[in-house]
Amino acid sequence: MITKAQKKSQIKVITGNAAAAIAAKLARPDVVAAYPITPQTEIIEQISQFHANGEMDCELITVEGENSAMNAVMAASIAGGRVFTATSSWGLVFMYDAILAAAGARAPVVMVNVNRETPGIIAVSSGQQDMISTRDAGWIFLIAEDCQEVLDLVLQAYRLAEDYDIQVPVMVHYDGFYLSYLSEGVNVPFQEDVDKFLSVLKTQPERTKLVPGGKLGCGSHGILLGYLELRHKHMSAMERAKAKFERIDKEYEEIFGRSYGGLVEEYRMDDADAVLVGSGSMCGTIKAVIDEKRAAGVKIGLLKLRMYRPFPSEAMIKALKGKKAIGVVDRSLCFGFKGGPIYTELKAFETQLGGSKMISFIDGIANTDITKINVATMIDMTCDLAAGKDVREVTWVSYPEAQEEGGL
Amino acid sequence: MTQKKKDNLTKVMDYLKHEDPFSKGVAFCPGCGLELLIRFIPQVLGNDIVITGTPSCSAPVLLGQNNQTWHKLSYFGTLMTGAAANATGLARYYRKAGIENTVVCFNGDGTAADIGFGNLSGAAERNEPFIYICYDNEGYMNTGIQKSGTTPFGATTTTTPLGSASKGKNLRRMNLALKMAMHKIPYAATATLSDLDDLAKKLLKAKEAKKRGFAFLHVFAPCTTGWGFAPENTIEVCRRAVKTNYFPLWEAVNGKIRMTKTVKKPKPVTTYTELIKKFAHLSEEDLQILQDDVDYEYCMLGGLSVLEGECQLPVSSED
Repeated sequence: MITKAQKKSQIKVITGNAAAAIAAKLARPDVVAAYPITPQTEIIEQISQFHANGEMDCELITVEGENSAMNAVMAASIAGGRVFTATSSWGLVFMYDAILAAAGARAPVVMVNVNRETPGIIAVSSGQQDMISTRDAGWIFLIAEDCQEVLDLVLQAYRLAEDYDIQVPVMVHYDGFYLSYLSEGVNVPFQEDVDKFLSVLKTQPERTKLVPGGKLGCGSHGILLGYLELRHKHMSAMERAKAKFERIDKEYEEIFGRSYGGLVEEYRMDDADAVLVGSGSMCGTIKAVIDEKRAAGVKIGLLKLRMYRPFPSEAMIKALKGKKAIGVVDRSLCFGFKGGPIYTELKAFETQLGGSKMISFIDGIANTDITKINVATMIDMTCDLAAGKDVREVTWVSYPEAQEEGGL
Repeated sequence: MTQKKKDNLTKVMDYLKHEDPFSKGVAFCPGCGLELLIRFIPQVLGNDIVITGTPSCSAPVLLGQNNQTWHKLSYFGTLMTGAAANATGLARYYRKAGIENTVVCFNGDGTAADIGFGNLSGAAERNEPFIYICYDNEGYMNTGIQKSGTTPFGATTTTTPLGSASKGKNLRRMNLALKMAMHKIPYAATATLSDLDDLAKKLLKAKEAKKRGFAFLHVFAPCTTGWGFAPENTIEVCRRAVKTNYFPLWEAVNGKIRMTKTVKKPKPVTTYTELIKKFAHLSEEDLQILQDDVDYEYCMLGGLSVLEGECQLPVSSED
């Protein structure tokens, strides 16, 4: 049977990185800056090959470091171009000053960050700690669950970043190794449909551009009230991004036949007493275990974060309100706090959840698999919490010694 | 004769084809070399240049504050770490979009020689189509006169102060311009404010060369406040830097080095240092070390230009 989605695309078996590269090609960027780093390298290799084949008509800048990659695409974006770059881990933090500057300049840069650890222990392994290190930079953060969503989110990111009402850079995150090198079937849309989806931007007023003879100063020395005005406008744009992204998700469905529910995706949430909150590739495993638990009569659901910045608090409260227990799974640490970052942030809205109890799970850092057994443990503990039992606040699921070491 | 001179643009004023886009009163120190340079560039190259710059002495004037500014140029104030990469992004996008452009990446020696050297070198290696101008005041003057890679031997700064265990910078300065010429870019040159016709010619050559790729100008721009000399002596300091070979004037087209001003009887470096307080504490012995360094650099430069002549490097048609 041919589905609506299949008519709109061709199915290819590709990696998450290939999905990101193809999405970048389909978006027709003017300038791409590229620097290799594991596990992102395949993206820029593929883009370089597209460029070499004449399939991608962009200026390709093979920079001497990630800091230059972000600086180059920021400037090209301010000049008026559509831009793309990709990085990971150390690369992300090496461009940190330019990440802050791009956000402050409201340059609508789209970047893929393939999540990887960033500790002093050289961990060439998956984890969202790099994402956490840049979460307060003023970018919009989107997180993909599978290779299909990688492609879809990159395309949606352009609509969001370049929207006249938003003009904020967007970072698309997905788990390194788990998705970057995982091959699965991906519906690759046709160029004409992508052009149609992105053409909405052409109907909007032109954004301010730095052009020769234009007598425009960018990056002026803003102090006192000028600074406050720009920072407040940036905050407001971040707030507007929530509703805008939901509309973009619906429009995407109309053209491509796929919708994820906008800011968050709810999975078997309707009558759930207990809910796991997660993001990224772990959600596939969680969904599989939920199906098994549901078959055994356990009322458990999943709330998947698709947007992490701005923090979709309203959508999360709406979905979680009245649930007896919530277990938040973090693939990163929040130093100075016991629980993970997403848990800690959701805690701020505890009073608005109507008495839901919350616990934190830390798992999947440095490539430790979030296995089905681990997910089952998390579900059981969250269900225990829902049943009124006394449950530990923070659990390092793959490191039982953490509980013995005390302190947490 | 007069007519012929005008035709050949031999007078400095004749190079000033465009209006001065800066306000008459700006926030530079009296006698600032940088001010003369930054007013000069758009009058020679045109007001349609796009300047990028970083936090520096030039920043207060170039950046403006909030929605107010001191000039009418297109300007992008950005980060010291990525200045050349920013200019790359602009120039590449303009090329893609078919927008005629002259991007001038305008930075002090702190950005060019120190924190931003990596991406300057990267942009040169990729032969990016823009002009990079380093105004060299031999230190971080805007943050309060700290040592940089181009601060010369013996100079006092706030991070190489005098003390019982210190008599100023105990290291030699790096030769940024020569390093850039070694990238074999279409155009690299040194210039200074005592020789404005030379500077103007080099600006125009850089604009022409940028059609083939990267152009680099290293402009010696003394700092009256940071170095300790009288504001009226800025041009004299430049003149003596040239006459002592402390700052020789040369250019390199596609890596081929040529002196643009040869000093027949170079004066001792003390002729230059005697005007400047940051060298005032140096003993004869110390000054000899500085003199040796000046001689070394000049010999190397002369050797390279002779060598290139003898080796008969392949010359491109644009030379």
